[in-house]
Amino acid sequence: MIEFINVNKTYPNGVTALKDVNLKIEQGEFVAIIGLSGAGKSTLIRCINRMHEINEGTLNVDGVNVSNLRGKQVRDFRRKIGMIFQSFNLVTRTTVLNNVLVSSVPELSFWRKTLGLFPKEKKIAALEALDKVGILDKAYNRVDQLSGGQQQRVALARTLAQNPSIILADEPVASLDPVTAKVVMDDFKRINQEMEMSILINIHHVELALEYADRVIGVRKGEVVYDGKSEDVTQDVLNNIYGSLTEVPHMDDPEEAKV
Amino acid sequence: MEETVYDKIFKPKTYTLENGKTVKQRASRTPLILLLVLIATYASFRTTGADLSLLLKRGNQFFVIIIGMFPPNFEFLSNIWGPLFDTIQMSLLGSLAGALVAVPLALLSSSNIIKNAFVNGFFKFFLSILRTLPTLVLALIFTFLFGLGTMAGMLSIFIFTSSYVGKLMYEHIENVDMGAFEANESMGLSKVEAFRYAIIPEVLPTYLSVSLYAFEGNVRYAAILGYVGAGGIGLVLNERLGWRDYPSVGMVLLVLMIVVFIIERVSEYFRRKLS
Amino acid sequence: MNEAIQTQYNKAPNRKLYFITISIIILALLIWSFIGVDITGLDQKGTGLAVNIVRGIVTPDLEFLFDFSTQGVPYLLYETIAIALLGTVFGSLLAIPISFLMAPSVVSGPVAYITRLVVIFIRTIPSLVYGIMFIRVTGPGAYAGVLTMSITSIGMISRLYVDVIENLDRGVLEAMTSMGCTTYQKIRYGILPQLFSSFLSTTIYRFDMNLRDATILGLVGAGGIGAPLIFAMRSYRWNQVGSILIGLVVLILLVELFSNKLRSRLVSGTK
Repeated sequence: MIEFINVNKTYPNGVTALKDVNLKIEQGEFVAIIGLSGAGKSTLIRCINRMHEINEGTLNVDGVNVSNLRGKQVRDFRRKIGMIFQSFNLVTRTTVLNNVLVSSVPELSFWRKTLGLFPKEKKIAALEALDKVGILDKAYNRVDQLSGGQQQRVALARTLAQNPSIILADEPVASLDPVTAKVVMDDFKRINQEMEMSILINIHHVELALEYADRVIGVRKGEVVYDGKSEDVTQDVLNNIYGSLTEVPHMDDPEEAKV
Repeated sequence: MEETVYDKIFKPKTYTLENGKTVKQRASRTPLILLLVLIATYASFRTTGADLSLLLKRGNQFFVIIIGMFPPNFEFLSNIWGPLFDTIQMSLLGSLAGALVAVPLALLSSSNIIKNAFVNGFFKFFLSILRTLPTLVLALIFTFLFGLGTMAGMLSIFIFTSSYVGKLMYEHIENVDMGAFEANESMGLSKVEAFRYAIIPEVLPTYLSVSLYAFEGNVRYAAILGYVGAGGIGLVLNERLGWRDYPSVGMVLLVLMIVVFIIERVSEYFRRKLS
Repeated sequence: MNEAIQTQYNKAPNRKLYFITISIIILALLIWSFIGVDITGLDQKGTGLAVNIVRGIVTPDLEFLFDFSTQGVPYLLYETIAIALLGTVFGSLLAIPISFLMAPSVVSGPVAYITRLVVIFIRTIPSLVYGIMFIRVTGPGAYAGVLTMSITSIGMISRLYVDVIENLDRGVLEAMTSMGCTTYQKIRYGILPQLFSSFLSTTIYRFDMNLRDATILGLVGAGGIGAPLIFAMRSYRWNQVGSILIGLVVLILLVELFSNKLRSRLVSGTK
């Protein structure tokens, strides 16, 4: 469970990133976070795995106060949280399998880590993760030979191999074409339902957000301005989140639904 | 466009367009630069006593030595192998050790891995200092400290290689895409682990290529090092030249040339495969 | 564990043999080198010398360091710079025609290959050997140093120039042809500007390196700060050694700073 209590974050140059954020996300929820670029969506999810730090307030994840963690504790803590990026962030020069195997590095002994000799059970686990996202056959291909959609699924497999309880995704489908985007979102949905992992997705594409997520959080200028079920999102809600009439996506217009 | 002192003296030219807009074109800096270079050159001429006519008069002396080298003395070959191997071994060891040490040095200097400006600055400066010391001066000093022989040469090569490779590597690392590194950290890998799995695969080809290139150059350089007494084939060269035994000198140079040629070809082959 | 996964696991491409062979070769080379080089440590005498040198650096002979006559460190450094400068200038000028002769896109294959061999020959001869040869021509002194530096520069500079020539942007020439330019115009406005800034950058870079090499020419009596350094070391005048080393390091740092700034200006186009 993720809990934000009166969380504030300000950058050193004075800009407010997060203001009075209060949220409670239970295990197994599928949440979409929407809002303008720069509204604070990225900052919000990056605070959860301590990639960014908060200035005020309390942030609890599965009972652990994130701000109190030190050194190795941070790393152990992050093992339980997976992260997916817009630009995939894979090592392109090496194989798909090698990329997925990286997630098991912290558990290896010194010599295995340094030389890159992964034991059999880790390799099997990695292959199983690849199977879950449907690209088992590409295991030995070099990453730069794959399409965008396939690469994102490799990233997803990498995260699954960690066995996390929470997956954070920062614009996971923004670089993908509409068809591939749906495939990836289907994967997220399936993982959420079959494995009961909490999924938090930052997403520009409002229509996709409403279609896949159970719950929507709207962020505007660092503040949470909407927090509720996706069915309850109306045009007014969107107006509020996105600020001005000119920028607001219109719900019924599929073209405009993309911001 | 910022106006510097030069612009105050040599005013930029202003072009006025039909619609009233104006554009300023700075006066070219080229004449000034040329003047400076000419002055520097002239001053250098005076200082060094360079005299082109002297070249013409006594230039043939240069060739006396070269002509003396033909035909090379093939019997001298047996004396060459030992020192030659010394030279290669010295360069190999020095280059290998240098390339290895360069890795942590580069890591610590890279501002995108270790975000501590003080540490970065210190190591970058350290690498600069190491590079600054002329290798030959170092070799000289080392022959005093460690005695004549290959140890001195190897150490100088080691120091040069680590700073040369180190500098090129941190420049490369700072320009590399940090995405995979960030992802690795988000999964719970430590900085060193993330470096090993995200950065090293990216920079490995360049690293190998640069190290190979350094080795290539080091072998050639090692011959010179021998001259100051740091072991290897340079010692032989020094000795033979002193005795004016030019045919033997010719032989040494011939062998050296062939060896360097082979090493360069092999090195070039591997370096091309790496890119 | 299902079958598909088992199959995939078994299909792992086997690069082991390749890696093992390479590791063995490298290991063998390493061991061979180790045996060859006699690793001597710092003996009693050596440590004493090291301490002396450090002491000399920390308490340098300030009189020597700031003696601005022809015997003092500054003048010697200046002479070293002059040698390096002229050597670089001559070397780069000579390298221009040679590099054109080495470029496969300018001259025919065989000619380029032969020129490359000749240049390799020139490059392999250690600079100190050239030093001795030139001393026969000019007598000992800085002039010999200049000539030595010129020849040793040719090797490195022409190699870099050839890279520049080979990587010329042909697109510009194509555009010019389509505009109806004459050959002269194409060379003057299409090729030369590209070559010029890259050549210049290379030359400045080489100057930096020549400076380091010029310091040692003094060994063979070819001028510069090498000779006084060796004298000082052989006569155990450690504070003189110290002042020379300090002067040297300061000089090279300054030059490197300056040349870096200059080169980045050239590359980024502010002129």
